[in-house]
Amino acid sequence: MEENLKWLWYAFSVAWVIHLLYVVTLGRREAKLREELEALRSMVEDRGKK
Amino acid sequence: MKSQSDWIWAGVTAVMMVTALYLTFVWVPMERTMGVVQRIFYFHAPPFFVAAIAIVVSLVAGIRFLVTRDFRFDELAVASAELGLVFESMNLATGPFWARPVWGIWWTWDARLTSAFVLWLMFVGYLILRRAVDEPTQRAVLSAVLTVFQAVGAVIVYLANRLWRTQHPQPVIAGGQGSGLHPDMWLTFVFCTAAFMVLYLCLLRHTRRLERMRREIEGLRRTVHSL
Repeated sequence: MEENLKWLWYAFSVAWVIHLLYVVTLGRREAKLREELEALRSMVEDRGKK
Repeated sequence: MKSQSDWIWAGVTAVMMVTALYLTFVWVPMERTMGVVQRIFYFHAPPFFVAAIAIVVSLVAGIRFLVTRDFRFDELAVASAELGLVFESMNLATGPFWARPVWGIWWTWDARLTSAFVLWLMFVGYLILRRAVDEPTQRAVLSAVLTVFQAVGAVIVYLANRLWRTQHPQPVIAGGQGSGLHPDMWLTFVFCTAAFMVLYLCLLRHTRRLERMRREIEGLRRTVHSL
């Protein structure tokens, strides 16, 4: 019983580690995209003024 | 910035996930032969069904893109395919932890497991294709075509243990005479599938938003080059 509980715990942990890693990468990607978007918007604005 | 609806989605997902955990670990009756390890089923099988739904969403969005050439459908298609990879990874990664104590091996190349692995490779291939092709229309068209193959792949995974003799257990859902689940197990399975589905929808809102931002960046880059 206890031996099998170990496998259940491993499977559960792996499943949620996959999701957590994905959510973390989503957050990092969003921050990076937002930064790039702002930089490009201000670049377009500057060039437009010139 | 998170909107109010984002918080509502996150809240509903969290409540459903906690309930799914309660059902899986506390409420559902113990399976007689395999014991506690059978409970892996409740977060092994539902992610496959969600991955299959992700493919259907991607396929329909891809076809709509081919018809309308509206890039909002391409955004939806790629956002859904990316989540399909996450859920299919979850399905593939949890299986061996059930197989090891029950079969005595981590993995075997039977029809079900092999076709599931091929489907996973198709998801990876889809995302590699997205990065490899620069021209937006060509990229969206090729992605839509690849989704058709993914859909066929998902059907083969579903049918694999019905059509061929496999090491993987015979179907307990829609498996014909002699198959089936105890009503409480069935309820837990359905609820877990619904919880993962809500998680998929919650994440889909976010990944779609990121794809929209990525498309806007591509447009702005072209504008910067032309100025």
